[in-house]
Amino acid sequence: MSDEPAAAGETDADAGNSVADMIGVWAPRGNEVRVVAGTAVVIALFPFVFSRMPVVSDLLQGYQSLATLILIWGIFALGFDLLLGYTGLLSFGHAAFWGGAAYTAGVFSQQVSGSPVLMVLAGTAFAVLLAWALGFLSLRRGGIYFAILTLAFAQMLFYMSSSPLAFITGGENGFTGVETAELFGMFGLESELPSVLGLLLGTWLYAFVAIITVLCVALAYRILQSPYGMVFRAIRENEQRAEFVGLNVWRYRLMSFILSGLFAGIAGSLFTIHGSYVPLASFYWTTSGEVVIMTVLGGTGSLFGPMVGAGVYLYVENIVSGGHPFDFIAPFWHLILGLVFVVTIWVFPRGIWGFVRDVRDMVTGGED
Amino acid sequence: MSFHIEAITVLLNGLQQGAIYVLLAVGLSIILGTLKFVNFAHGALYLIGTYSGLLLALEINLTSGQLQEWGYGQLGLGLGYIPALIIVPFVVFVVGLAMERWVVEPFKDRPDTDQILVTFGLAIIVQELFRAFFGSSSLPFSQPAWAQGPPQVPFLTAIPISSWRYYVIGITAVLVLIVYLLVEYTDFGLIVRAGTRDPEMVELLGIRLSRPYIVVFGIGAALAGVAGVVGGPLNPVNPTIGNEILVPAFLTVVIGGVGSIAGAVLGGVLFGLTQAILVATYSAWAQVGLYAIAAVVLLVRPQGLLGEAEVAP
Repeated sequence: MSDEPAAAGETDADAGNSVADMIGVWAPRGNEVRVVAGTAVVIALFPFVFSRMPVVSDLLQGYQSLATLILIWGIFALGFDLLLGYTGLLSFGHAAFWGGAAYTAGVFSQQVSGSPVLMVLAGTAFAVLLAWALGFLSLRRGGIYFAILTLAFAQMLFYMSSSPLAFITGGENGFTGVETAELFGMFGLESELPSVLGLLLGTWLYAFVAIITVLCVALAYRILQSPYGMVFRAIRENEQRAEFVGLNVWRYRLMSFILSGLFAGIAGSLFTIHGSYVPLASFYWTTSGEVVIMTVLGGTGSLFGPMVGAGVYLYVENIVSGGHPFDFIAPFWHLILGLVFVVTIWVFPRGIWGFVRDVRDMVTGGED
Repeated sequence: MSFHIEAITVLLNGLQQGAIYVLLAVGLSIILGTLKFVNFAHGALYLIGTYSGLLLALEINLTSGQLQEWGYGQLGLGLGYIPALIIVPFVVFVVGLAMERWVVEPFKDRPDTDQILVTFGLAIIVQELFRAFFGSSSLPFSQPAWAQGPPQVPFLTAIPISSWRYYVIGITAVLVLIVYLLVEYTDFGLIVRAGTRDPEMVELLGIRLSRPYIVVFGIGAALAGVAGVVGGPLNPVNPTIGNEILVPAFLTVVIGGVGSIAGAVLGGVLFGLTQAILVATYSAWAQVGLYAIAAVVLLVRPQGLLGEAEVAP
């Protein structure tokens, strides 16, 4: 798996030509097949290794539901990195999209339809519209002002849902009326997949989330490898130069914000389906903080770093805090994460993924 | 209660709440205006101020946390409130100096986002340290006995507000005035303001800016510490208070205009009054109203009410 820009269409250009003719722009380019297939394999093996493989899972103490949760937060962090790592904008208000989508999906399931697919669509649509509006407002100022403005707007939503809108959102208690139906009217999300798939993936819920995750990775990869995504990086590197070249920086930033809102929306809706409950805290600014920590920990500016970061964060939050592997760490798990976070920013701004890549480059002699 | 007494009560409550915001915002604002440093750990300094004030002023019994487990459940020097008010600013001042030296300096030339991230991380560390040692539960930080009832002054006796709140307003007014005079009318202030405009030129004149800057950060921190001591007895004291106060404090700075002390005061008072009036009328909207005002101000006047347009990046 690599997220380096590939030499355009060198390997599968011949094989892909006839397909490319048929479906035009949707044909895979360059490294895309390799990246997406690699992701799919890793995600397919992950729950087995994490929660069912004989020796390893005993060491890890993992469980199925946490594997699903890691993918969900992974999508969130992936989208967040589109903004922070690639466009260079630090938003402290992504809880707005995560929470907004979570509530929308929840209310939608109760009022309209419990179909998981429709719930995700509804939640994501809401998040995208919200990101459009908030991005439009927040992007009037750059740098720190952007961080503070996004933070302010997200907090406004938090307080909106905590009391004035409590009749819909359930106020302090969160939204409890989630009614998720079966997938395509056939498969209960909590039931196991048949035969080998059941052993590998576990539940239908995981399969559902996994497919969406792979699609998200493919989408993000496609965006980032396209000329459009290159502009994001150009803006991060030098805003003025991008402006002088004739790019409308503001519009690209807004689109980057909306796109990251889209991913946050998908993740937020899945979170509702996963937990059948929307806590009020999903709007609180510490939720935004969590995704910031995950992204930075894993490594900004890389495709898979944020997902790794999400995995590490949730692992520490759910397993280490329970006293595994050492009992005495348990009460200090958050403190340790904070320390690791600060050390990461200080001495290793490229995060875990950057570290892994450096090691790989050392082993392979710097060749990609 | 007659209407005018009720109205005065609301106004005073608003001023008192605003005073806390002002103390935090003035500190944040001078740090942001001069050092160009974004301090997301300002709430953590407030937290340090509150806890050190509590430990200096009173004797407490911990019910959870590591200290209690290790058998140090009874803590606090019980010196009283006045010594606490005098000592805490110095303590937090020193914390501020250390932070400037070991956090701000190394991050001066790094992007804004790194500054926000590292101070955000620091804020988490401080909060979690307090949680680990003192427990998550709220600690009792009562108002001093001599400041609990309404002040025994003609007319004010009729207003049901503890005199502690008047002290909060008074202390804030005095401190902010001192900082204002320091920045506007002393050589120190002149150097700091010149450094804000053109640091290279000031250095060329043979003045080392690092020393005034470190002091500015210390002063900002000390103000947050004072806010912690005076604000502590008005709300439940637990490790998340720093986190909660940070967002309104930042908004106060931004709507007032970065670097402007008068702006911070105006923003803080506006926020405090809005909150108090909404709590008294449409309490469900109290917090939302705060953010709505901030949003409107920023959309109409992005540089803040008293900010200068050309200074803002």
